[in-house]
Amino acid sequence: MILAQEKLTELLQAYPPERQHTLAVFQDIQKECGYLPKEHIVAAADYLKVPLSQAYAMATFYHTFSLTPRGKHVIKVCDGTACHIKDSKGVLQSLERLLGVGLGGTDADGLFTIETVACLGCCALAPAMQIGEEYYGNLTDEIIAEVIADYRRREAGEVVA
Amino acid sequence: MSAKRTILVCCDTGCIASGSKAVVTALKEQLALAAAAGVAGAAATDATVEPLVKQTGCHGFCGYGPVVKVMPDDISYYRVKPKDAAAIIESLGGEPVERLLYRDDAGQRVTGREENPFYSSQKKLALRNVGELDPELLDDALSRGVYESLKKALTMTPEEIISQVERSGIRGRGGAGFPAGRKWRIAAGYNNNPKYVILNGDEGDPGAFMDRSMLEGDPHSVLEGVAICAVAVGATDAYLYIRDEYTTALRTMKQAILDAEAAGILGDSVLGSDKQLRVQVVRGGGAFVCGESSAMIASIEGAVGEPRAKYIRSTQEGLWGQPTVLNNVETFINIPLIIANGGDWYAQTGTDKSKGTKVFALVGKIKRSGLIEVPMGTTLREIIFDIGGGIPGNRRFKAIQTGGPSGGCLPDSLLDVPVDFDTLLEYGSMMGSGGMIVMDERTCMVETARYYVEFLARECCGKCVPCREGLRWLLDILTRICEGEGEFADLEILEGICETMTLASRCALGKTAANPVITTLRYFHDEYEEHITHKRCPAGVCRMGVAP
Amino acid sequence: MTVNLMIDGLACEAAPGQHVLDVARQNGVEIPTLCHHEALAGQACCRLCVVEIEEASGSRDVVVSCTYPAKEGLKVSTNSEQVRRLRRTVLTLLAERAPLAEGALPAYCQEYGVTGYDLRFTVDKDEKCILCGLCTKACAELGNSAIETTLRGVDKQVAPPFDEPPAACIGCASCAEVCPTGAIACEDADGVRTIWEKEFELLRCEACGKPFATAEELAWLKERLLDTELNLAYCPSCRGKMSLKDLT
Repeated sequence: MILAQEKLTELLQAYPPERQHTLAVFQDIQKECGYLPKEHIVAAADYLKVPLSQAYAMATFYHTFSLTPRGKHVIKVCDGTACHIKDSKGVLQSLERLLGVGLGGTDADGLFTIETVACLGCCALAPAMQIGEEYYGNLTDEIIAEVIADYRRREAGEVVA
Repeated sequence: MSAKRTILVCCDTGCIASGSKAVVTALKEQLALAAAAGVAGAAATDATVEPLVKQTGCHGFCGYGPVVKVMPDDISYYRVKPKDAAAIIESLGGEPVERLLYRDDAGQRVTGREENPFYSSQKKLALRNVGELDPELLDDALSRGVYESLKKALTMTPEEIISQVERSGIRGRGGAGFPAGRKWRIAAGYNNNPKYVILNGDEGDPGAFMDRSMLEGDPHSVLEGVAICAVAVGATDAYLYIRDEYTTALRTMKQAILDAEAAGILGDSVLGSDKQLRVQVVRGGGAFVCGESSAMIASIEGAVGEPRAKYIRSTQEGLWGQPTVLNNVETFINIPLIIANGGDWYAQTGTDKSKGTKVFALVGKIKRSGLIEVPMGTTLREIIFDIGGGIPGNRRFKAIQTGGPSGGCLPDSLLDVPVDFDTLLEYGSMMGSGGMIVMDERTCMVETARYYVEFLARECCGKCVPCREGLRWLLDILTRICEGEGEFADLEILEGICETMTLASRCALGKTAANPVITTLRYFHDEYEEHITHKRCPAGVCRMGVAP
Repeated sequence: MTVNLMIDGLACEAAPGQHVLDVARQNGVEIPTLCHHEALAGQACCRLCVVEIEEASGSRDVVVSCTYPAKEGLKVSTNSEQVRRLRRTVLTLLAERAPLAEGALPAYCQEYGVTGYDLRFTVDKDEKCILCGLCTKACAELGNSAIETTLRGVDKQVAPPFDEPPAACIGCASCAEVCPTGAIACEDADGVRTIWEKEFELLRCEACGKPFATAEELAWLKERLLDTELNLAYCPSCRGKMSLKDLT
C-alpha cells in the first residue's frame, strides 16, 4: 500500500527534517504500509536531508524493515536460543506446511508472511511466536493449526460482515 | 482493621502469552458478581475493603503462568485459567484455593513465595517493584517510594552521588562489567555541554528478557535511575533506546515519561529544582550490534549501527561528539537503591569484585524457568538445581550457556563456580546481560555453536574483515561438521580464525563472537570428534544423511 | 609538544594523537594496509595493520595502527610472530573472498606466504571487492554520496540505492580511483565514461584538449565553489601550470 501524498506529508512532518529521525520515520512508514515502498524511502530521504544512498543503507541494515510488501499478518517465529533448543525449526516447518509458503514468503491469500525474529523475550514459554502484537507460547503443531485457523475464521467473518 | 486485598495478576509478555488478560477480565467479572450478591468472601461484604485487581509486571515464574498473587496474604496461584476466577474471589479471607498452589519438590502445596523453592533463595533488589505494582500508575510507584532517591540526590552534590555509586562497586549490567561509578566520574569530569545519558534497552540477545521485564514492570524506577545519573554527570537530555519488538515496554515507558513530566518529576524542572531533563524514546531497528555503545550512538544519530573505529570512549566523545554515559536498564534500576541506602549497603551483597545481585532469564531444558535475581557469587548449581529444579524428564544436564552470543557453554564440571563477572570470563564465557540457557543431553553442542555463529553472521555489522569473513568461514565449517562432512583439519582452521577474530576485530561483538566456538571446542571436543570421525551426533540433533 | 614512543625498538617522536601507522611510516617502518588512504583515514576495516602494543602502564594489547593514537612511553611491535600470524589469517580470509583482487592484496599474500587457498570458502570466484569502504567514503567526501555499503553482516556489499544506476552519481570516478583492488569498473572510451552502469559525456580541457571530467562533475563543482577563481574549463594539470605562470 502506498500512502497518499497528504498522508505521507503529515507523517513526515511529525518530525523535524533532521537525520536523527530516519529510523523513526521509516518505522512509521512501515507501520502504515507494512513495508517500505521505494518512493517513500526517496521522499523520506529528501525530507530528512539524508543522501538516498545512506537512507537505503539504513533500510537494508536494520532488519525491522522490509522492502517488499508483506501479508496482512506478519508471523514472527522466535529463534532465540531457548526456542531453538526447543525445536523452533519444527514451528517454522509446521507454519510452512499450513500456509504453503516458505520463510520470508507471503501466502497466496496475502494474509500471512512468515519471518523469524532473534528473540521475543518470552523464553520461558519456548517455542514461541508473535502475530501482530499477540504472543503465543508453548507451541505444538496442534496449537499452531488452531491459531492459524482462528485467524482465517476471523478474516472470513470480516469478509462476510 | 481489615486490610484491603489486592489481587496482582502478572501481565508481562510471557503471562499474556499464557492468557493472563482473560484472567484479569474473569476476576473483575467475578468481583462484580460477588459484590452484587454480597458474598465475595468475608472481607468484601464491607465496601471499603473491596478487593482490587491489578495488572502488574513479571512475577518471574513465567513457566507456570499466568501467575496471580493475593496480597497481603501472600498467596500465589499458578497456571490460573479464567474459570478459576470464581474460586479465587470466593476464597478471599478464607482458605486458599488448593489446586492452584505450587507443589514443591516434595509434593507439598505451598502458599507463599518464601516456601516456594523457585523464589526462596532469590534476592530481589533490581526487581523490587516488578510484579508488585501496576506499571501504568504513577501513584503505585510513588506509594512504593519511587523518586524518593531522586529527591535525595537533588540534595547531594554530583561528587557525593558519584562517590556513592563508586562505593557500591556496581558494574555495568550490559555485559562487559565496566564500573558504573568510574564511567560517571569520567563523564562528569568533562566541561563541554551538552552531555547525554543513554539507556540501553536494546536487549538483542536471544534467550534473554531481563531488561524487558524491568521496563514493562517498573518503568518509573528505571527513569529514576536515569534521572539520578543525569543529575550526577550534568546531562540535560536522555535517550531510551528500546527494541522495536518490545511493543509493551515501549508503550509503558512512553506513558511513564508523560506521567512523570506531568507530575513535575521530569522536564524543565526536575522535582522543582533548577535541573532539567528531557527524556526521549528511540525505537531500535532490530540490530544486535546496536547493543555496542558506539553503534547505538550511531543509530540514535540516524546512521547505520556500525561501531566506530576510533580508540576513544563515549564518556569523552559520545552522542553528537559530546560526553555521554550509556548504561543498561538493570544498571539504572539499581541506582535508586544505592542512593537511598548508600553504596556501602549495596556492596554488602555479592562477591569481592562483583557487587550486588544479578537478574537472569533462566530458560531452556529446566523444570522451573523464568526471571530470577540472585546475589553475585551464587553458584551455577544453586541456580540450576535449587532454583530451577534441575532438568525435566530425568535427563542429564549437559551445559549452561551464559552471556548470549558473546558468551560460552559451560559443562557440568564447572557447576560449582560462582557466577560473577570475572569467574565467567576466566572460563571463557561472560556475564553478558543475563541470559542463562540450560541444555541437556539432547542438545548438540556443535549445532549450538553453529546456531550462535549463524546468528552473529547475520547480526554483525559487516565492517571489519576478521569478524565478517571469519564468521562466514566458521558458519561454513560448522555447518559441514553438522552435516557429517567435517574434517579434522577443519578444527585447526576454526582455532586460527577464532584467535584472529578475538584479537583483531574492531568492536566487542567481533572480539567475543568466537566464544561459542572456543568454549564448545574446549569443553565438548569429543562431540566434534564424534561428528567428524563417526558421522554421528551424540545428541541426535544433527541429521547426517548416514544412519548412525 | 611531542610524545616519545618506541616502534620495533626504534625511538620515535610524534604529535600527540597522531596515529601509530603514520609515525611508523615517517620513521621508515612499513606496516601493510589495504583500507588506508591518507585522504580518507580512519577506515580500520581490513585489520591488516595490527600491531602489538605495551602501554607505559605495562598493559598489553593488540590494536590496529591506523587508528591507534601515539602516546608517551608506548612500545609498538609491528612484526612479531603473533602479528604475522594474525595477518596471515586476515590475508587468507580476504584472498578467498576476493580471488581476483588486484594490487596490494596478492602482493601481500605472496609476502606472507599465503598461497593455495582452500576454495571451499569462495562465494564468488570473480569477486574483486574486499569491502574496505574507501569507495563509499570517497563518494561521500569527494563525490555526491551516490553509493553506500548496503545490507549487513556477511551479506554486506557496496551498492547504489535499490541496486539501480545511481541518480546522484556525477561520474567523478573517485570511487574507482581509491579502490585498492580494481573492483570498480570505470571505462573511458570515445569521450564517454561508463561507471555504475551510467554513461557520462567527458569534457575536454580547453588548453590541452584531453578529456578530464564529466559535465555533471563540473556542474556539481560549480554549485559548491561559487566564489572560486578556478577556471573549470581547464584540467587540473593545466590549471596548475597556469597559476604557476601567473606567479612567475
